[in-house]
Amino acid sequence: MRVNGTMSRVYKWFESRLQLEAPVKEAALHPVPRNTASWWYVFGSAAFTLLFLQIVTGILLALVYVPSAGEAWSSLNVLNHQIPLGWFLRGLHGWGSNFMVAIVLIHMAQVFLFGAYKFPRELTWTLGVFLLLMTLGMAFTGQVLRFDQDAYWGLGIGASIMSRVPFVGGGLVHLLLGGPVIAGATLSRFFALHVFIIPGALLLFALLHVWMVLKLGINEWPMPGRLVRRATYIDEYNKLAHEDGIPFVPGAFWKDLAFSGAVVAAVGVCTFVFGPFGPGGQPDPSIIQTVPKPDFFFLWIYTVLSYLPPQMETPFLLIAPLVAIATLLAVPFWAGEGEKSWHRRPVAVLAVSTIAICWGVLTHLGATTPWSPHMNAWSSDPIPVHYLQHATPLVRQGAVVFQVKQCRNCHSIGGNGGERGPALDDVATRMTIDQLRYKVVTGGGNMPAYGKNLSPAEIEALVSFLETLHPANEPPAYDASRRAVDESQSQPRPQSARPPAPPVARQTANRSANR
Amino acid sequence: MRFIALALAVFSVPLVAGCGLRPGYPPNPMLRPTAVTDFATLYNQNCAACHGQNGQNGPSIDLANPEYQALVDDATLRKWISGGMPGTEMPAFAQSAGGMLTSAQVDALIAGMRRNWQRPNAFDGVSPPPYAQAAVGDPVRGQSTYQARCAQCHEPTRDSANQQITSPRYLALVGDQALRTIIIAGRPDIGQPDWRHDSPGGQAAAPLSVVDVDNIVAYLASLRNLGQPAPASTASSHTTPAGR
Ligand code: HEC
Ligand code: HEC
Ligand code: HEC
Repeated sequence: MRVNGTMSRVYKWFESRLQLEAPVKEAALHPVPRNTASWWYVFGSAAFTLLFLQIVTGILLALVYVPSAGEAWSSLNVLNHQIPLGWFLRGLHGWGSNFMVAIVLIHMAQVFLFGAYKFPRELTWTLGVFLLLMTLGMAFTGQVLRFDQDAYWGLGIGASIMSRVPFVGGGLVHLLLGGPVIAGATLSRFFALHVFIIPGALLLFALLHVWMVLKLGINEWPMPGRLVRRATYIDEYNKLAHEDGIPFVPGAFWKDLAFSGAVVAAVGVCTFVFGPFGPGGQPDPSIIQTVPKPDFFFLWIYTVLSYLPPQMETPFLLIAPLVAIATLLAVPFWAGEGEKSWHRRPVAVLAVSTIAICWGVLTHLGATTPWSPHMNAWSSDPIPVHYLQHATPLVRQGAVVFQVKQCRNCHSIGGNGGERGPALDDVATRMTIDQLRYKVVTGGGNMPAYGKNLSPAEIEALVSFLETLHPANEPPAYDASRRAVDESQSQPRPQSARPPAPPVARQTANRSANR
Repeated sequence: MRFIALALAVFSVPLVAGCGLRPGYPPNPMLRPTAVTDFATLYNQNCAACHGQNGQNGPSIDLANPEYQALVDDATLRKWISGGMPGTEMPAFAQSAGGMLTSAQVDALIAGMRRNWQRPNAFDGVSPPPYAQAAVGDPVRGQSTYQARCAQCHEPTRDSANQQITSPRYLALVGDQALRTIIIAGRPDIGQPDWRHDSPGGQAAAPLSVVDVDNIVAYLASLRNLGQPAPASTASSHTTPAGR
């Protein structure tokens, strides 16, 4: 009793000065249309929750992280291994970032499909577009702070993209890197961006965004045929909210809470199971045994750049982002009225699904990078043992040539090796020995010409190895005109007068089995 | 309620993690590639493609053959690994020769091979011909020794005459030392006997003498020099390959 009395006196003391009760109550209890209390409306609040998770974990990380080129990498390893649960903290921040980008994108797609950007919520959408850009900016700068090989090369690629901007490119690179090259100043710059500048703006925009959501009301569930008109919409909405409405808290809010909790839990589980991201190898430009890859959300750009013909790269890199952003910003002004329901907006549905599918495919390709050679395959991927079981000495040497000339880096056999060229496990069924020789010597279609880099003996060994690459039950391709020549040359040689000894006999038996 | 349950779930995760069950715990910091000295890693990244997984059944010599390990000394291994083996496709691996390995890594490879593949008394007390050739061999004598000791197993048939060890094409890719190594230490993984068993059927026979080995290598070398690699268009190079 006494305690309660004291508590309420303290509360009153503060409340009479802060006067927060009325606005908070109003915000919490304001009526929202009953059907907006839907599981579809939870993504925005989840993104906001993740923002706070990122802020909290980020502050904790900043207590240990050293933003200097010499120490950043090792301070992350200290976090990973020497500070109790430091690895978990890094994991939460890294997974939180991935989840946040994903949830922001889903939120955006949902808002778009539900027509929630239409009058009077144009500005909410516009701020949302900037929030997306800032979230991506946080993801990119965060990846740079990891300052491992991926970060280093990713930054190099980012800088080379910037340098293509006409006239001011060089200046922009200088501004971004804090100098002409990636060095200590670069890291300080990205630290400031990641820790002060972008988060400050992000938080401000996010609060404004939420403020507008509260003030303008949560979008009603779109009904086919219920059109938005500037003249009448606000009255219609208020009528809907008051006649068939429920208070925001707890009517709709509990779903937000539950979903946010689930998302945070998912971040925790992912961290626990998969651990933090990197850091990968040391950021040292002299280490060239590296295949740098951007983080998940930028993989698709990586794919696009790999597939674009070189002369298209600059236009794509400089124009496409501007067009995309301009389109997003223009959407509410261009289609601010009219139909909200996705049932009546086939173009919108088609656009979202096309983008989602393209993004998925490009990301998958970016994750597997079939276009880049496996730089280690030539010395690390063994030839499957049974491919050589009955090989002749020359075929064995051919296999060595195949490895040493790094054919394996682009061509897999037995499932190992690069995927830039076709797998060669059954190449002999597709090509005759002359075609094989021609292909190796002249190359063509992204296959380098090896004519000048192979001695005649190496070429013969190589093609005799390739000629053995066919399934046991399927004979190799054979040129009919060859057969006649071979038959006419079939005089036995002097040495083969004696009966065959074991290994040769084995080979011969095998050979006739193949016929 | 549900939220509290979820929150508890989240916070219990690190607790479980503290108890040692933590699949996501990060691996040790990545070493720079030149700092790796683990034999298995080095071998699998740099050698396994040609010398086979675990040092056998690859297209090139089986480094795991205990007789080979007993025959060759560290300095020789270091020389071949660092600078490549002349006359063969064995590449140079030392940074000083344009490769990627430091001399500490080459030493780690040698030590690892010794640890994993060397066997005491691999020759049963018999001393083999020396690893390196000391005298000049006689190709004519070599030919007759070859006919007596090797030819029965190495018989070029019509189909594969130019794929066998007497073919200039093969010999153009294999140096004299590589041949010598194979004759002495054998290649158990492909059925080539050592110098004590070089005889029809691979039976134990009078071991090849030092001179025999010199001569056979000289004979094979003479075949190599004799052969201008046949121009692709005229050679009857089609051979039905051995299956697999
Ligand atoms: C830089 C990557 C690369 C390297 C290295 C490379 N290739 Fe290729 N190779 C290709 C590509 C790409 C193709 C498909 C070319 C085409 O579309 O015709 C190809 C095609 C081939 C083909 C035809 C396969 C078929 O089914 O049509 C053969 C045979 C071949 N390569 C053999 C080799 C050999 C032997 C070597 C080593 C001496 C080698 N390649 C090295 C990329 C490579
Ligand atoms: C591209 C194929 C290739 C790779 C990769 C390769 N080798 Fe070799 N190596 C050869 C060939 C070919 C020979 C010649 C001898 C033979 O095949 O019999 C050889 C010979 C050698 C020899 C000398 C054998 C002798 O006669 O004394 C040693 C030792 C050796 N390799 C060690 C290594 C080690 C260690 C690695 C890894 C660092 C390695 N090789 C990687 C192809 C290769
Ligand atoms: C008992 C039978 C047998 C005898 C005797 C024999 N070899 Fe072999 N040798 C083999 C077999 C089996 C192989 C593996 C199959 C092949 O390459 O034809 C082989 C392979 C070889 C290779 C090729 C290794 C490679 O790089 O592919 C050489 C070189 C060789 N033998 C030399 C000789 C010499 C020289 C002699 C005589 C001193 C000899 N062999 C005696 C059975 C024999």
